[in-house]
Amino acid sequence: MRNMISDAPRTTLTAFYWAFLLYLLLPLTLMMAMSFKDANFVAFPIGDWTLDWYAKVMADKQFLEACLYSVMIAAASTLAATTLGTWIAMLIVAEGIKGQVIIFALACLPAVVPGMISAISLRIFISTIDMPTGTAAIILGHTVHAVPFVVVMALTRLRSMPGNLVDAARDLGADSVVAFFRITLPYLGPALVGGMIFCVLLSIDDFVRTFFLGGYRPTLPMLIFAKVQGGMSPEINAMATLVLVVTAAVGLYAEYLTRRARTR
Amino acid sequence: MQPVVQFDNVTKSYGKHVAVENLNLSIEAGKFVTLLGPSGCGKSTSLRMLGGFETPNSGHILLGGKDVTRVPPNKRNVNIVFQDYALFPHMSVAKNIAFGLELKGLDNQHIHRRVNELLELVQLQDYAKRLPAELSGGQRQRVALMRALAPDPEVLLLDEPLSALDAKLRQQMQIELKSIQEKTGKTFMFVTHDQEEALTMSDTIVVMNKGKIEQMGDPNTLYGRPGSVFVANFIGETNLLRSTVVGTEGDTTALNWNGITIKAAQGGLAPKTGDHLYVVLRPEAIHCSAEEPTSGNRIKGKVRQRVFKGNHTSLSVEVADGAMLNALVHPADVAQLNGEEIWVGWKPETTTVIPDRHAHN
Ligand SMILES: Nc1ncnc2c1ncn2[C@@H]1O[C@H](COP(=O)(O)OP(=O)(O)O)[C@@H](O)[C@H]1O
Ligand SMILES: [Mg+2]
Repeated sequence: MRNMISDAPRTTLTAFYWAFLLYLLLPLTLMMAMSFKDANFVAFPIGDWTLDWYAKVMADKQFLEACLYSVMIAAASTLAATTLGTWIAMLIVAEGIKGQVIIFALACLPAVVPGMISAISLRIFISTIDMPTGTAAIILGHTVHAVPFVVVMALTRLRSMPGNLVDAARDLGADSVVAFFRITLPYLGPALVGGMIFCVLLSIDDFVRTFFLGGYRPTLPMLIFAKVQGGMSPEINAMATLVLVVTAAVGLYAEYLTRRARTR
Repeated sequence: MQPVVQFDNVTKSYGKHVAVENLNLSIEAGKFVTLLGPSGCGKSTSLRMLGGFETPNSGHILLGGKDVTRVPPNKRNVNIVFQDYALFPHMSVAKNIAFGLELKGLDNQHIHRRVNELLELVQLQDYAKRLPAELSGGQRQRVALMRALAPDPEVLLLDEPLSALDAKLRQQMQIELKSIQEKTGKTFMFVTHDQEEALTMSDTIVVMNKGKIEQMGDPNTLYGRPGSVFVANFIGETNLLRSTVVGTEGDTTALNWNGITIKAAQGGLAPKTGDHLYVVLRPEAIHCSAEEPTSGNRIKGKVRQRVFKGNHTSLSVEVADGAMLNALVHPADVAQLNGEEIWVGWKPETTTVIPDRHAHN
């Protein structure tokens, strides 16, 4: 009796934990299960199982093109965001620069502005400078969104960097450029790789900004959205499952990398 | 011979705080020179100015006769061993040591040979491929030293490089450092707040206090003939006897210390009767005995404290009302001093005198 009472908080916690897991995993599991269903509508019971939907998806030129387009945009915006973010982080830790707090606040702003607002403002911005919607505009939007995450990750790592590593490099004959590329950048390496993977995921996942800034060529989320409008079918489930598996793998790898960087 | 390093009236301040004030210092090539002083006295600042990491507010720094006051660190032929070593964590031991050589534009073969040569000097040949994180403290210390020596600097700067090591290893590294300095014939400029370390290794010690040089000389001179109360207190243990001159006789002075008359060598001062002086009496210069000594200064006193220190015993002896002397006694002599009353004695020529700068007489 006494045991049951004293265990109550623990038991409740454990129960919540399992409920949460169920809540998290059930929809995903359902989605995945339906992708194997041998019928062209989504409903229980599943009945016969098949891999036909996957074959169909893999042969779908539209899907493959959207994938390629998404990856290309992700790569470009990641590269831009990483360069910019690292540069801003360096600026924030540099000595003798005024307004570092303001730079930091500004750099972080895009992470907290609602996606919708940011998308609309960017749309207005590009039309005032006569920039057409499309690839370049999407890349611009994704880059702005991703920069704060790079800044924070790079900054955390930079702050843990012994101050005299760069001094030592300078002492041994490196000018500030050589010292950056041979000492600071390798030191930042693991944090930057983690940040880059995060940028890729943000970009691939983004719908709102892409929707407002994009042209006629669909990215992956836009294609899936368009397909859903035409009614659910196990083909969409197969598509989504593929995206889920790939992005989850990439995300876990990023987590592994940043964890390793932290324990070093 | 031209000094390899010259500080010419160098001042460095941070805001209102003066870290180094009118520093004038010449260092001869091939010497082991130590900047010694309490924490915050401006040692690191002096070293960093020579390394090129701080710019003096005024004055000039000359390296090999050339003015380098405003030359950036990468264009100066000096290298620093940092207190926490600052080894590049992502580079192997060999890569760390090769770093400065690569930047000098040497070819690979040359670099390889030099790195091996240096690793051999500190017996780390088998560790060439390890990362710094996989080394012990002492090994990291050696790698940092070799990395700084590799580009063959005119002067090697060392900023408290041994302070992170435990006592045993520190003593071992002191000897090793000294022997490396002798083997390579390099000028070493070493910074420490540890007087024992300074005495062990240096050819010349520069004692600093509050941004200024207090005294400079070889270890023997600094220990035996300290020029100020600060130096006498900072280097080694000492009894400082504040006394008044009562008369002079040849090159010895008679002084009154707490009502006791003692004699001391004048040490270049020309004291007049009535002057106030400090007599510097090292504990090991005092001879304790049960019977009255036949010559020299001798005072009867009471033993107030005995502290056994292994290779010697430290006695606190009260010789007048409240006036204490600390003496070292050899283990062989302790047995005969078991009584409370003993005699302390010392030869006048084993002491030196320091003028009392604050006295108004
Ligand atoms: N970057 C700095 N900014 C402000 N004050 C400093 C700076 N570097 C050193 N100081 C001050 O200058 C004085 C001398 O410092 P330092 O040369 O590091 O002393 P030491 O190495 O002898 O312990 C200290 O009082 C220290 O607080
Ligand atoms: Mg210091």
